[in-house]
Amino acid sequence: MSTTEYRNWRLEHDLDKVCWLTIDREGESSNSLSQDVLTELAQIVTDLEKNHPRGLVLQSGKNHSFIVGADVREFDQVKSTEEAEQFIREVHRLFDRVEALPFPTAVIIDGYCLGGGLELALCFDYRVAANIESTRLGFPEVKLGIYPGFGGSARTTRQIGGFQAMQIMLTGRMLRAHQAKGLGLVDQLVGPHGGLRWAARNAVLKGRKSRGPGRAAKLTNSGPARKFLAGQMRKQTSAKANPAHYPAPFELIDAWEECGDDPRKMLNEEAVRVARLINGSTSKGLRRVFSLMEQLKSQGKGSDFKARRVHVIGAGVMGGDIAAWCVLQGLEVTLQDREMKYIEPALKRAKKLFAKRLKTADRIAGAQSRLIADVEGTGAERADVIIEAIFENLEAKQKLFEELESRVKPTAILATNTSAIPLKDIASVLKKPARLVGLHFFNPVAKMPLVEVVYDKQTRAEEIERGSAFCNQINRFPLPVRSSPGFLVNRVLARYMLKAFQIHREREVPKEALDKAAERFGMPMGPVELADTVGLDVGLGVMGTLGGEEAGEEAALLKALVDQGKLGKKSGEGFYVWKKGRAQKDSDAVEGINLESLAQELMQPYFDECRACLADGIVKDSDAVDAGMIFGTGFAPFRGGPLFYLENSSKRSEENEDE
Amino acid sequence: MSDHIRRIAVIGSSRIPFCRSNTIYSEKTNLDMLSAVIQGVVDRYGLDGEQLDEVIAGAVTSHSKDWNLAREALLSSGLSPLTPGITLQQACGTSLQSALMIGAKIASGQIDCGIAAGTDTTSDAPIAFGRKFSQRLVKMGAARTGKQRLAAFKGFNPAELKPMLPANGEPRTGMSMGQHCERMAREWEITREAQDQLAMESHQKASAAYDAGLFDDLVTPWGGVSRDNNIKPDSNMEKLGSLRTVFSKDAGATLTAGNSTPLTDGAAAVLLASEQWAKAHKLPVQAYITASRTSAVDFVNDEGLLMAPTVAVSEMLQRAGLTLQDFDYYEIHEAFAAQVLCTLAAWESEDYCKDRLGLDGAMGSIDRSKMNIHGSSLAVGHPFAATGARIVGNLAQILEKAGKGRGLISICTAGGMGVAAIMERD
Repeated sequence: MSTTEYRNWRLEHDLDKVCWLTIDREGESSNSLSQDVLTELAQIVTDLEKNHPRGLVLQSGKNHSFIVGADVREFDQVKSTEEAEQFIREVHRLFDRVEALPFPTAVIIDGYCLGGGLELALCFDYRVAANIESTRLGFPEVKLGIYPGFGGSARTTRQIGGFQAMQIMLTGRMLRAHQAKGLGLVDQLVGPHGGLRWAARNAVLKGRKSRGPGRAAKLTNSGPARKFLAGQMRKQTSAKANPAHYPAPFELIDAWEECGDDPRKMLNEEAVRVARLINGSTSKGLRRVFSLMEQLKSQGKGSDFKARRVHVIGAGVMGGDIAAWCVLQGLEVTLQDREMKYIEPALKRAKKLFAKRLKTADRIAGAQSRLIADVEGTGAERADVIIEAIFENLEAKQKLFEELESRVKPTAILATNTSAIPLKDIASVLKKPARLVGLHFFNPVAKMPLVEVVYDKQTRAEEIERGSAFCNQINRFPLPVRSSPGFLVNRVLARYMLKAFQIHREREVPKEALDKAAERFGMPMGPVELADTVGLDVGLGVMGTLGGEEAGEEAALLKALVDQGKLGKKSGEGFYVWKKGRAQKDSDAVEGINLESLAQELMQPYFDECRACLADGIVKDSDAVDAGMIFGTGFAPFRGGPLFYLENSSKRSEENEDE
Repeated sequence: MSDHIRRIAVIGSSRIPFCRSNTIYSEKTNLDMLSAVIQGVVDRYGLDGEQLDEVIAGAVTSHSKDWNLAREALLSSGLSPLTPGITLQQACGTSLQSALMIGAKIASGQIDCGIAAGTDTTSDAPIAFGRKFSQRLVKMGAARTGKQRLAAFKGFNPAELKPMLPANGEPRTGMSMGQHCERMAREWEITREAQDQLAMESHQKASAAYDAGLFDDLVTPWGGVSRDNNIKPDSNMEKLGSLRTVFSKDAGATLTAGNSTPLTDGAAAVLLASEQWAKAHKLPVQAYITASRTSAVDFVNDEGLLMAPTVAVSEMLQRAGLTLQDFDYYEIHEAFAAQVLCTLAAWESEDYCKDRLGLDGAMGSIDRSKMNIHGSSLAVGHPFAATGARIVGNLAQILEKAGKGRGLISICTAGGMGVAAIMERD
């Protein structure tokens, strides 16, 4: 056997002449399938084809992480659809050869096994997975605007039947080891105290083969069933994604409907369709979202800050939900308010969240034991992070922090969740004003992934890093913003909602049309429905801080509604009447309105304000603006962010002019 | 081998929060928990990939499949797989005994370092068939013909299928630990009120220790739990007084669920080493183990089952040339409040000390304000085999924070045994 040295792979042979192939990508903390990695794999496969070992086992050299997918960063270097197609076909040929190796093969899946990693694993005869918390299998491709292109669409439908295979590819859902075993993606589970190596060795020595789908699962790939199921899938997918904005899942459904019973043809479809998708604007936009997310997550990496206990003051909607979220992320939280009766509703909401997310009784009980009501506020003294979330009143906040400063640990993060009061005004009462940061969460906390980490001139740089590290610890994306009214997200949103109210009031454009126009553009929710969801009282407060002169009439409109007790979703009526958590909309109201030009008009102040924030230095660069608006307001992800969209559309119009 | 006795250094400990059985750890096994606490020590002292000389650990309630528990657990941890693991069991004294055995080998120069640990769960109880049915299954497994297979079930009675639960009691007396302790309380005339008082203080002290952050280094959050779930900060005499007695319905009965330890799931581990090893690894020493003794009583012939610590401590003090009052801290494991109070009463009794311990007079009383200053098993719970390591870790930290001092450990075990140890820092 050759003794070639590889950069990303290791080959070893044992007593039984089983060949152990270890992927350990050079210079990276996790394995992804880059061109370089695949080129080396091709050499290894050539070698294996010549010198048959008794069997082959693939494993990862990274601790509890198998292969996280293709190397997404390389996608951007693909210049044309043709080039993409050629690359995909090359990978297909390589994976076919892996699948055809004339001796038993097995793979050990321990940790993340995603996208291309799972597609490679599906080329092996037998899959052994570590049944531990960190093992996850899935196809996140649709989230990048493509679908599995390394043979995944063909091999998954063949392995577990079209119905289940399509569900996991269409949703991008991450499966735990036992779920993957249940679906038949994995053949054997090994518990945390078991021997993965021996399970794989046995599989190879005994020539074990994966069983493939059961009869019923297989039947879902047959002609008539496919036709029916594809229709259902289209319907379900359209309810979540607009085909014009997100073509990938629909392309996948088409491909499967056409040739789901023939893996060869499915492969061919992959090469054609995925190549087209990779080069499309949606995938480019979504890849940018992915890279923006990575950028946000990389903040705070310079700090080794790690919290064990959090103390939250103020058990209102924000405070209570921040506390519950921190508990859900594994921390111990003391939650303070004046009396137990103010804390109880927060505990109730938290219990609901735990039940929904944690499922089993023992885990729910564990979470509940970590959320501690603390009327006396003694938890502040031992907490690593203290978050103030009381009502928006400067004196009250100043008094609170003045008293806190002498009691808290000198190493603790001292944070306020204020959305309206300048940081320096609160910090001014502290002996060390440099230590106060803002941690501005969004409502609903459990659904909004962004946290604005607010700083001002006097804030110590290290505190921004530590605040960001804390956000990462609780699985929220940190966005450092300079303290100024509305920070980034609310400032932009306020302009945009104000515009909507103005059009509604001045030209009597129905609210349904405004919302529909924004949704057509790709916003997750229109401005009027958003106002109702946030709460009109909250909106009125924000306008007070931000609106200035021009907000006068709009503020009066809002105030009138608030005075009538119409607060939006939470009170059952605002601009809309709400039933069972849904706004009751008159679908006829949209008739005869040019939604496209309305959307342009609506979005204009949104874009203007994004540019203004950049010019004012609220965040460090245009990437930060885009990241903030995508993760803080759900700005149409397929457009890659507002500034990215503007730049691209101006490029597009220039190109058009050139033609 | 060294030709002189070396000092036994306690570097420190780590444990997971303890939980009442069938609550938050209901899905966890002994192997899960023991691996977790070994890992806790590895993380706390940077021992990832390190080869230790020995890991000695055990569990009281154990599955037969866990016959190599200590070794299996360390293989699931970050320690080098070249570390040997020895599974040991001495009921509730298990992990203290493990520490003492590692300590003895360090002292004699046979080894340089080791982890002593213990785990217990009654949530994952080993449930077995009765002997009769088990034998049938064995016979059937050996059978080669259908006739033999049939013969294995000759005379089968469905009652044989009744599962055997592990009994929390003494095989020779057929009585539970609590029933034995109830007898002791009667013999030593320990009142209900005194027991409740001790229990309440244990909860209050443990709770205060938590609030002061004293357990932060000792207890690593695990399995979704950040603190022991048995501690009741609001424990009071009124509530404790309202509880029914649980081991006897006699009017004079005094033991309740409030003044007895609950069945508990949990694990604890402690790292021991020679001074040289500690120095080489740049790890500060919290305290030293300087003496120990294991003794037993004849409970089958009516001695109090849990009175053996009185003997162990007395014998240890005689050998060490110390008196019961020569200590700054006392860690008396609280299996039951009554058992602690019986032990104290026995040391104060001139008759008992003369007749049973062979002393000239009473050992005397101890300063109760020095006893279990951060609470003990009544509050934090008592996963049988884990308690010793918890107490060693706790006392080592107390001595480290105090800067110097001497502490006494006393633990009673099933089977009428007692394990005692002295720890010092100078």
